[in-house]
Amino acid sequence: MKKKLFILVILIALIKFSIAQDFSYNKITQQEIDLKNYQKDTSANAVILNEFGKAEITLSYNNAIRLVYEYHVKIKIFNHKGFSNGTVEIHLKNNEDNSVSDEINNIAGITSYKDDNGITQVTELDSKKIYTTRDYKFQTTMKFAMPGLHDGCVIEYRYILISPFLDHFHSWQFQSEIPKMNTTYEAHIPGFWRYNVALRGPLKLTQNQSDIEPNCFSAGGGSSGCLHSVYEMKDVPAFVKEEYMTSPKNFLSALNFDLLEYTNPYSGVKTNVTTDWKDIDFRLKKNPDFGAQLEKKDLVRENIPPAILDIHDDTERAKAIYKWVQTWFKWNNYTGIYSVDGIKKAIKQHSGGVADINITLVDALNAAGINAEAVLLSTRDHGVINKLYPVMGDFDYLLANVTIGENSFFLDATDPLLPFGILPVKCLNDQGRVFSFDKPSFWVNMDTKQSRINTYVLDLTLSEDGRLKGKLIHYSKSYDAYLKRKSIKKFNTLDEYVDNMEEHFNKIKILKSNIENIDSLDKPIGEEYELEINVKNNLDSGRFILNPYIFDKITNNPLKLRERNYPVDIGMPSENRYIITIHMPPHYTIENKLPDQSLQLPDNGGIFTTRFENTDNTFTFSNIVRFNKAIYQTSEYQYLKEFFNKIILAEKAEIVLRKKS
Amino acid sequence: MMKSIIVTLALLATFYLVNAQQNYDASLISKDLLPYASAVVRTDELTVEVQDLDNTIVHAKMAVTILNENGDHMANIELEHDKSQVIKSVKGIVYNEFGKPISKFSESDFSDNSSWDGFSLFEDTRIKSFSPSITSYPYTIAYEYELRLKQSLSFPKWVSASSFGVAVEKSSFTFICKPDFMIRYKEKNLSEKANISTNSKGLKTYAWEVSSLKATKYEPFSPYRDNYFKSIEIVPEKFMYYGIGGSFANWKELGKWEYDKLLAGRRDLPAETIEHVKEITKDISDPKLKAKKIYEYMQDKTHYISVQVGIGGNQPFLASDVDKQNYGDCKALVNYTQALLKAVNIDSYYCVVESGSDYKVSMMDDFASMDQGNHIILCLPFKNDTTWADCTSQTIPFGYLGDFTDDRLVLACTPEGGKLMRTPKYTFKENLETRKASFVIDGAGALSGNMHTIFKGTNYDERDELVKESQKEQYKIIKKIYPINNMEIETLDLKQDKSFDPMTTENIKLNARDYASLTDGKYYFQLNPVNRITKQPPKQVRARINNIYINRGYTDEDEITYTIPAGYHLDKAPLSLSINKPFANFTSTMELKGNQLMYKRKFQLIDGIYDKDTYQDLVDFYQDVVDADNYIVTLVKGS
Repeated sequence: MKKKLFILVILIALIKFSIAQDFSYNKITQQEIDLKNYQKDTSANAVILNEFGKAEITLSYNNAIRLVYEYHVKIKIFNHKGFSNGTVEIHLKNNEDNSVSDEINNIAGITSYKDDNGITQVTELDSKKIYTTRDYKFQTTMKFAMPGLHDGCVIEYRYILISPFLDHFHSWQFQSEIPKMNTTYEAHIPGFWRYNVALRGPLKLTQNQSDIEPNCFSAGGGSSGCLHSVYEMKDVPAFVKEEYMTSPKNFLSALNFDLLEYTNPYSGVKTNVTTDWKDIDFRLKKNPDFGAQLEKKDLVRENIPPAILDIHDDTERAKAIYKWVQTWFKWNNYTGIYSVDGIKKAIKQHSGGVADINITLVDALNAAGINAEAVLLSTRDHGVINKLYPVMGDFDYLLANVTIGENSFFLDATDPLLPFGILPVKCLNDQGRVFSFDKPSFWVNMDTKQSRINTYVLDLTLSEDGRLKGKLIHYSKSYDAYLKRKSIKKFNTLDEYVDNMEEHFNKIKILKSNIENIDSLDKPIGEEYELEINVKNNLDSGRFILNPYIFDKITNNPLKLRERNYPVDIGMPSENRYIITIHMPPHYTIENKLPDQSLQLPDNGGIFTTRFENTDNTFTFSNIVRFNKAIYQTSEYQYLKEFFNKIILAEKAEIVLRKKS
Repeated sequence: MMKSIIVTLALLATFYLVNAQQNYDASLISKDLLPYASAVVRTDELTVEVQDLDNTIVHAKMAVTILNENGDHMANIELEHDKSQVIKSVKGIVYNEFGKPISKFSESDFSDNSSWDGFSLFEDTRIKSFSPSITSYPYTIAYEYELRLKQSLSFPKWVSASSFGVAVEKSSFTFICKPDFMIRYKEKNLSEKANISTNSKGLKTYAWEVSSLKATKYEPFSPYRDNYFKSIEIVPEKFMYYGIGGSFANWKELGKWEYDKLLAGRRDLPAETIEHVKEITKDISDPKLKAKKIYEYMQDKTHYISVQVGIGGNQPFLASDVDKQNYGDCKALVNYTQALLKAVNIDSYYCVVESGSDYKVSMMDDFASMDQGNHIILCLPFKNDTTWADCTSQTIPFGYLGDFTDDRLVLACTPEGGKLMRTPKYTFKENLETRKASFVIDGAGALSGNMHTIFKGTNYDERDELVKESQKEQYKIIKKIYPINNMEIETLDLKQDKSFDPMTTENIKLNARDYASLTDGKYYFQLNPVNRITKQPPKQVRARINNIYINRGYTDEDEITYTIPAGYHLDKAPLSLSINKPFANFTSTMELKGNQLMYKRKFQLIDGIYDKDTYQDLVDFYQDVVDADNYIVTLVKGS
């Protein structure tokens, strides 16, 4: 009985492995050729019939340890819109001096289609039509277009990628822009290496098997078994992007491998790559491109103008340091968490990546006696961070976190227009990890209290010939002030900015203008205009009709989907205030008052209010739209959509002024 | 120690030498050059010397002062190189505001990347690039480089300023060649004349120089930039190009060379394909219908993929290659279609065109040169019925060019030589979007009804992308096209008539709750629900320099009948507007009869060139249209 059971187990194991086998190349069924559409999603322009990937760490030629990745896919293309699936790009990495690089083998492709006589024809990919382009220092790309594409054809291609970079164990994307009927990934990992495996996204695996293959790997006297795992999904729906969403990565189903530890098979020396934060803290501290750079406060101090160091007040000194770093560097558009060539070189060249600039900032603050730490985070496009265990690859950005008394601020010095404590939207994502090296690292919310705040205050006098004359004050605060400065800087001078504005509003004449705090980054920008607006649009005799929303009107609901699958992410809270006071000509009176509105989003998500007040021949209308959240869940979607609808309805209303008879 | 001092001295000496030639102190720039300038070219000396047919040396010396970050792009240096263009040297110095040198750079500081355009499968051109990292303005970058061209057909073109917002102190162009090397040249917008002489080595020189040019400001509705930027282009009589020799003095000869050297002998097809083409057309006698059948066969079989290799990217892939691969770029697909047509004895021309929807750019009729076009289309010279086709789309009708290549001079490369031909024009009366709708607005403010729209002329393909989408996507996109809040689509029907006068028909049944709002006993809704000019009118331009250029005319006609709840009357004067201008016409009227509200709108823009003095008229015209389009109907109860 016992023996029987044992056999059964082996049998099951064998069956499992036969399931995990790659599907046969160039075996297209009549059914696949005849397929007219994909029943589970008839809107699909193409569907992946089968996709198989296999990655294993193995001994390659010259006894070098290599990561061998096989990819094989078969795609049904229903129509021309699906043809883009027939253009393939494969990226190959290489190291600094190009002495080791990825290699590609056995690229093969075949297209099968029904010809005009209903007979299945095949065209093979011509190896001369595979193009190689050296993109830049660290990457080469191979590209090809599958030959003989027809509506209804089936394409199939495969290749083997051999890589010396073992820490980039291929992740597997179960979901893509076209649906998949079957997608299978197989991994063979010798016991010398251990990876953390994490499945991201809402979809469930239809198969998830692991077995040990004994003695499958030997190198330099050491040998080990392999962990053989098979992951499979069936009937994976296409991923459809929605507007106002963060990185699709956060929602796409994928499998990621992160190297945990490895033992050198030749020397037997074990190296922990990812263990726990304590270990990471220790290693980052020793890292020449990270911890070592964060210890260069003496070097940085030599460059700081002494006058800054003499500032007595901590906050003022910190602000001066921040400003100094902002203006010292020009960001070279490189994003990453490690210094590229060391901050010494970056300082000398006045140019560097995110890490170079913000590490310099941390050092400079510390040099000035202000407590500052480095924060690692993931930008919005880069996705959210795995919190179950440390994954260094999840981080792609470095900021400074400064603590002054009770308050702490996040600082990013890559953009000279950013106010103290305000971050670019890309950084407002999930959590960041603070590293200070004299205490354990810890998580913080990337929450900056910043928002987009905008206020229009209009005080206008209406004359009987249909002109509104008076004053407009437009305040932009917090992040809006930053955006405003950016748009003003697109002009060579303030005069050119004002000229351009006047040129854009055909009905408005700007008589005088004054813009405050253009260079005081921490203060709101106040734009004050004396202006004259020509509104003589509807010349009913004795009546004057006016829509109070002269500026800042919402006319179109940005949310159009009936239902929403992913949260609506607007980046940060916002507040728009609009206050208009109009002094009517004598003998005029108001025919209709605008009703006061008040509307709230659930869970204190936002508010829309209007108020109308009038005394004698003056009236004031105010309107506030406030969104208190950065992210609205799908359960809040309908409310949010209706909220916009109500705002738009309200903004259609007109005020009628009538001459007293 | 000693050594480092010497190095420093040497460095100072070089700085001094370069500096001695010109002082790059930013304060020396004339105040006249500053308005609207974000960068000022201090010197720009371009010298082209043809030493041999396969050896041309290009030497450039440039110094630009960058006034603010908007001018930073002028400090970026990008040099293309490939098999026929080699970078011999490049180096430069960056100066601070006061003209003091702060850093030096050389070729090793440049990065070398593929010049990928974002859509090609492959291109063999690469780009070496450098940009200095300077954070305090103003600063000056001075550099020089030398290129070697292994061909003599196409020389660098000189332009006074490469973009808006750039002023020029001094810029010069010198062309040097052997006395027997004959050239032709084309000057544009240039009052300065060439100074032609012989230099000390007995070489012939042509030299131009301009100075004190103010920065150009962008003006909406401007003609194509070639009409106002100064430029000089030079072409040889005899040349060598990728090892192929030739000579030309006019379009006929250049077209002949292109035909003989780049196109001839590339149209062979497998016998089966020839047979197949004959088979599918055997029952058609009219050559134009035959060609249509073949074009549709080609559309069905192939798709566009760009691969730019070989003779300057100017030679199409073999027709037999396209036949096998089913893909090609514009050259390859036109050549392939020609091959298919030849199989049934239909003649056709391979035509070079400068494509683009924003401007109609013609080949210069008085100046033949390579590189005036960026696209290839097909011409079928049927008797009294010249027909055109673009071979890169799988969906457009045979004989339809659309706004990408219409109404401009193109070069047809024929066995008899090149000839300039004009592609057909779509007039403002032919470019139609005609809409008829019938809507009901109920007591709660909900809108429902049908909308029927016809697209013709260059508007025909306005729905071409949409047709290819799935229904789900179509609904999503339609909701974005028509600005009706809460719009839900009940049915959507799109039809394309691909005859020689193509037309798209769109039928939508829709509803939208809360279209009208009820406030204080009043009933408000926007009169024009779908076809509004929602953008601001074009901005005003003071002291305009350029005439008004309207690239394309069109006619929009909307007719909407609303059935509104009974018992309401209008609260304000009905909209009634009619404007007629040389460049445009607009009428917008409404009439309430019982509970039927009729709305009619006609917008007509007339293409052409108009005097710059009428520009404010154009702005005011658009303002009136925007206001009329934003008209809100107000209804109150009672009669």
